[in-house]
Amino acid sequence: MTATRTERTAPVAVSTGTRNGRAAVVALAGFEARRLLLRLPVLLALAGHVTWIVWRTLRPADDFPVLQDADRATQSGPLFVGLAVMLCANQAALRSLRRDTERHFAVTSLTLWRRTAAHVLSVVPLALLTAVAVTAQFTWEAAKPGAVGRGSVAELLAGPLTVLLFGTAGVLLARLNSSAVAGPLLVVAFLLLFVGSASQSGGQDTGPVWLWPVVVTSGVHPFPSDLLGRPAGWHALYLAGLALTVALLAVLVSGGRTRTVQAALAGALALAALGGVMQTGGIPAATDTARSRASLAPEQDQTCVRRGASHYCAFPEWTPRVEDWARIADRVQGLAGGAAHDRPLLVRQRLEARYGLSDDAALDPATRPDQVTVGTSWGGDRVPEFSTAVAGVLVAGNERRAGELCDGRMVPLMWLSLAWQRDPESALRHVRLDDSVTGSALVLSGTEPLTMTAGQTKVVRALLHRPLADVGARVKAHWDELTAPGVTTARAAELLGVRVSVGGDRCTG
Amino acid sequence: MYRLRRPWTAPSTAAAALVRPVWRGLPWRVWGVAQGAGTLAAGLIRVCGGGPLPALVLLRAAVLAGALGLAFLLDDPARHTTATVPVRRVVRTALRVALVAPVVAVWWTAVLLLVPGSVRPPVWDITLEAGTASVLALAAATVAVRRTDEPEPGRSVATALLAGAVLAPLLLPARWALFVAPGDPGWAAAHERWAWVLAGAAALWAVSLREPRRRRTVRAPLRSAFRSVFRSPCGTSGLSRTC
Repeated sequence: MTATRTERTAPVAVSTGTRNGRAAVVALAGFEARRLLLRLPVLLALAGHVTWIVWRTLRPADDFPVLQDADRATQSGPLFVGLAVMLCANQAALRSLRRDTERHFAVTSLTLWRRTAAHVLSVVPLALLTAVAVTAQFTWEAAKPGAVGRGSVAELLAGPLTVLLFGTAGVLLARLNSSAVAGPLLVVAFLLLFVGSASQSGGQDTGPVWLWPVVVTSGVHPFPSDLLGRPAGWHALYLAGLALTVALLAVLVSGGRTRTVQAALAGALALAALGGVMQTGGIPAATDTARSRASLAPEQDQTCVRRGASHYCAFPEWTPRVEDWARIADRVQGLAGGAAHDRPLLVRQRLEARYGLSDDAALDPATRPDQVTVGTSWGGDRVPEFSTAVAGVLVAGNERRAGELCDGRMVPLMWLSLAWQRDPESALRHVRLDDSVTGSALVLSGTEPLTMTAGQTKVVRALLHRPLADVGARVKAHWDELTAPGVTTARAAELLGVRVSVGGDRCTG
Repeated sequence: MYRLRRPWTAPSTAAAALVRPVWRGLPWRVWGVAQGAGTLAAGLIRVCGGGPLPALVLLRAAVLAGALGLAFLLDDPARHTTATVPVRRVVRTALRVALVAPVVAVWWTAVLLLVPGSVRPPVWDITLEAGTASVLALAAATVAVRRTDEPEPGRSVATALLAGAVLAPLLLPARWALFVAPGDPGWAAAHERWAWVLAGAAALWAVSLREPRRRRTVRAPLRSAFRSVFRSPCGTSGLSRTC
């Protein structure tokens, strides 16, 4: 039998001074970071994160991002990177046990706690890489021409800090339990926590829910950044304190019981406790007052600008959107006849902020004549919905009356709303609740929905298939009769030269 | 080298002789941790209460924990030496499975009994999920043993299983959904799919059980680098059996 022989040069003798120890820790941390970065789960998670960012940011619905929402939208992607890093950091910290090379370290200057420190430090480059990805995602959003608002650095920090926290938790677990299955089990436990937090925090964005690593309250309507009421800064401090605590605890349990480590651990714990307590305090009273004011008397906070004859009032962060609103209002008004053609409108941005970020309460229609409501989100279906709101006010006089329309006035209203658009029929499909183009349906608007009967749908579709100029001339010529209360759909169809059987209206039976 | 004729009873005798060492070599500690975690998850249902959905989620976590433990079943630090025993790999693997099956069955029964009857999902359906996860873990471990020389592939298998468990609920389209909620109209259809996955995993396992006819070819530069450091762990005298 041939003996197995391995030839290795003897390790160079090193002195064990503190400076050398520190240099060795940094060198090992660099080596471990490289290995961590090249592990398949981490590479896959990073690739998945990048794919998710690209997919998310390229969606057409995301063409008009509100940056105070876009910043916290960066938080859920890094969770998966964090899980992969947790698993791989755990396995890396156990490698010397698994490969039975633990005793080789006895000849180096690296004691167990120094190696643990190196493993903890090896997570930092991954957190930095996540920070780069998060910054790229946010910068991409901010660079879009339709972006408004302002982001917060504290919200952007949550993702990278989560990766740091999860990675250090993996190292700590390796020092507490050397079983190979403990790491995967910790991942399962964290997954359970995510599922638990997702089901617990549904509709709730204050209090203990902030003790979870990531709190993404997906608001339906973006809020002005002053009204968010998210303790993002305290939460970032909490996460940083927690990550530091876990890291120092890992060093401590592996034998690094020096005074410095103990003092740093106490400091980190204090940071985490401070952040943890401060973030669960709930919404400050000032924010609550500001939310009520913005909901009930938005004119106090808004700036108004004049475009043509109309005024546009928006929360200061949304003023760049005025051009978009004015363009659409002009197109709709250009199609209208009679006095409505030149009537000055007041387009006011409104928001229901009193019930929190996750609330989806509908706005009450405005009762003031010629006032049109526009929400805080824009792009996608919000554009034809605004167009419908403008047309409703032009036809019925105010928003409340437009919501109550049940007669033939729906025909000019819907035609005004859709005719100027590039693909009116698909716009019609999008503004209807059931995405249909036949039969009766609810039509979405910024405030109260409107109702189209099957006959009105038929007439509007017939009008949309005919030349714009021809129908436009007829609408202008018969404007007063078309918008008179009580006009039947049959009469409106007759005036506009459409011959289809329309049936009765909802009010006339 | 000459092949000796062996009596036909030799394999079974050898297998019987293997029972005790294999029993001692099984990764009990890993299972202890995994099954302990699974039991803890099931215990949480009893302690914390909650509706059928949290109970199902926790039970699925217990299933995953158990399957992660099973991913380490074929770990054998002495693989390169035990490869020379005169028993085929099918028998050795089957022996491990046969030894562990009663333990797993008892654990699973205990987990099910821990869940209060009012929130317990249909027993056979959730057992089907558990069985599928276990067979998937076994199949993945068997494939890893067949395709690599790694004596302890459990770590990689567990990672792959975990990745699958994380990604499947996120990426599977609705018509192939596996992880449905209790009371969902698609529950029965989803469990039909679970049965198909089980069948596929079992087939994969059965196919991978046999030893490869030829030694796995390693890329030339890698092989030369490998040889310079290690001698072949399976001997160099042209044994027909590989390890």
